[in-house]
Amino acid sequence: MPVERIKPTDFTRTPATPAAKPDFGSATIPKERYTSAEYMRLEWERMWTKVWLLGCRMDDIPNPGDYHVTSIGKEEIILVRQKDMSVRGFFNVCLHRGNRIMVGEGNATSFKCQYHFWEYGLDGAFENIPDLETFPQGAPPCKGLREVKCDTWNSFVWFSMNPEAEPLLDYLAPLPEHLEPYHFERMVKVADMTVEWDCNWKTSVDAFNESYHVQGIHPELLYFIEDKDVQIDCYGRHNRYLVPFSTISHRVEETTEIPHLIKHAMKEAGMNPADFDGRVTEVRKALQAFKRKHGPAMGLDYSDLNDDQLTDDYHYNIFPNLTLNTHADDLMLFRQRPHPSDPNKMFFDVFIFKLLKKDEPRPKKPRHEQFKHGEKSLGLVLDQDAYNLPGVQAGMNSDSFDGLWIGDQELRIRHFHHVLESYVGS
Amino acid sequence: MDLRLKGLKAAVTGGTRGIGNAIVHVLAEEGCALATCGRAPERIESLRRQMDAAGVRFHGETVQGRDGEAMRNWTRNSVEALGGLDIFVASLSAGGGTDEERYWYRNFEIDLMSAVRGVEEALPALRQSKCPSILILATMAASETFVAPMAYNAIKAALVTWSKQLSQQLAPEGIRVNCLSPGPTMFKGSNWEMIRVARSRIYDNAVRQQPTRRMGTAEEIARSAVFLASPAASWCNGSHLLVDGGFSKRVPF
Ligand code: FES
Ligand SMILES: [Fe+2]
Repeated sequence: MPVERIKPTDFTRTPATPAAKPDFGSATIPKERYTSAEYMRLEWERMWTKVWLLGCRMDDIPNPGDYHVTSIGKEEIILVRQKDMSVRGFFNVCLHRGNRIMVGEGNATSFKCQYHFWEYGLDGAFENIPDLETFPQGAPPCKGLREVKCDTWNSFVWFSMNPEAEPLLDYLAPLPEHLEPYHFERMVKVADMTVEWDCNWKTSVDAFNESYHVQGIHPELLYFIEDKDVQIDCYGRHNRYLVPFSTISHRVEETTEIPHLIKHAMKEAGMNPADFDGRVTEVRKALQAFKRKHGPAMGLDYSDLNDDQLTDDYHYNIFPNLTLNTHADDLMLFRQRPHPSDPNKMFFDVFIFKLLKKDEPRPKKPRHEQFKHGEKSLGLVLDQDAYNLPGVQAGMNSDSFDGLWIGDQELRIRHFHHVLESYVGS
Repeated sequence: MDLRLKGLKAAVTGGTRGIGNAIVHVLAEEGCALATCGRAPERIESLRRQMDAAGVRFHGETVQGRDGEAMRNWTRNSVEALGGLDIFVASLSAGGGTDEERYWYRNFEIDLMSAVRGVEEALPALRQSKCPSILILATMAASETFVAPMAYNAIKAALVTWSKQLSQQLAPEGIRVNCLSPGPTMFKGSNWEMIRVARSRIYDNAVRQQPTRRMGTAEEIARSAVFLASPAASWCNGSHLLVDGGFSKRVPF
């Protein structure tokens, strides 16, 4: 039985019809892109400093003076809410002798470097330079902190180190139309973690851009998702796949008992698995209908989502480094950041957002935690991915390995490299 | 040993999968005509094709086990289609489930009442048979603490009690009633196959308790079941046979 998907005539705001299949050939992808310091340098110069990047959530900095320091490679950026409620971003670098100015998150009336107390306003402009008269050359002519481009979309703050960067919405196109129906602004952050992984940032991006590895390292998911019959769509820079959840893989036999992860999804929606007399492969559609019918009474507004979105994983990659597992009730957002100098290391940020029911009190904002791989669990599935990645990176470094041998189920990896090449060159 | 099943007519609930399905096949090989019911129409159809190919008289219907009327109708239709009935096997089960009160109702309707209803409808035909017998499938988990306390285990225990007392009532009429409790059983599409992959710790724990470090196969259960139901087991009545490869540790004096 093929997976039943919404029909072209069914309600949807997120485009759901398959995009035209691109042809990126079948060449081996050079492994140096993952292992070489030289490639890493070019990637920085030609890609990271040119694209739009996700900084923080708008509700991380709700009030004037609220700031959040985010980092990418060797750079740190202060994102700060202005008095007029707009958001601006500055390199977190003191113009005196280069010291970092701010750390973490908080509220400030000015940014004051703790080395010699040079002080900058929320707008980045010099506010006070102690003993300015002892600088015969005067203050630096630039008037203050070096600014980066900053904009907001769909509850997130974005920045670009490229002064020539196109407008954010143009960069993200066509995804705003895809993702706005999820109303991320109605969701709240419930987890905020950063893990240091021993692999290149792309090794991690790749691991989320294909479901081919589910049979290998997430076998228990074969009884919760369809891993092979997935719809892959590539758009300009970005891509996605649509993975049916609350069903079973075609690789396994249907059972009489409903697998526990599917039961869990039913219970979460208030549907009692003990009263469901249909077959396991009939749960997904029934759960969609149940959520459609009972969502409003539970204070959950699914009105902008199509039926499949009520159960499935609409899984997006926003180039270059964002992985979005979008679900009706939550968003699991992964941000993969390169290490400042080592192509064999990266930072993996996990942000989990949960849709609040109407009138549900906002939970306390989670504290950001940072740790090394293995020090703390990220949950079974992510732990399985994390456990595997250093081995992939180590193997790619072997002289015996030439490059990535990519199949159709990994089309998103090819597309990602196609876009990467358009920045870095091949 | 001749099981003396040739030419007999048997109805098996839940015969499209697993143990029930294996019982259907063994009975067919032994020369019985077969009737069965199950939830999936395509499984009924594929079974029909297999039986047709083997030249076995067959009646199959899609039935939802919770639907009492449908269960009774299927039993009556089976008697009619086969032109009588000698053996009734109650194998249908809803499987396990915890943490929801509604599982008690589910197992009550599907495991217990489908058997009670089927037997009630089968009795008039069985009374006409020369070697009538009823076989009730329960579970080792009814008498051995297993995985978690749940409706499945306890409702199956009710079947054990009921089948024993039914055997006393029906013995004077020459109708034998026996009960068989399988241990963990592995077959294609079994819940254990899913648990092995999706909840490997529960599976490993179950297999560790098995002295041979493997689960039984549906055929291994079916052969014992077919013997108990057959005229060859004429002196087995009211017995409760544990077929678990040595899983349970209790000495049943
Ligand atoms: S480095 Fe910042 S004040 Fe001197
Ligand atoms: Fe994974």
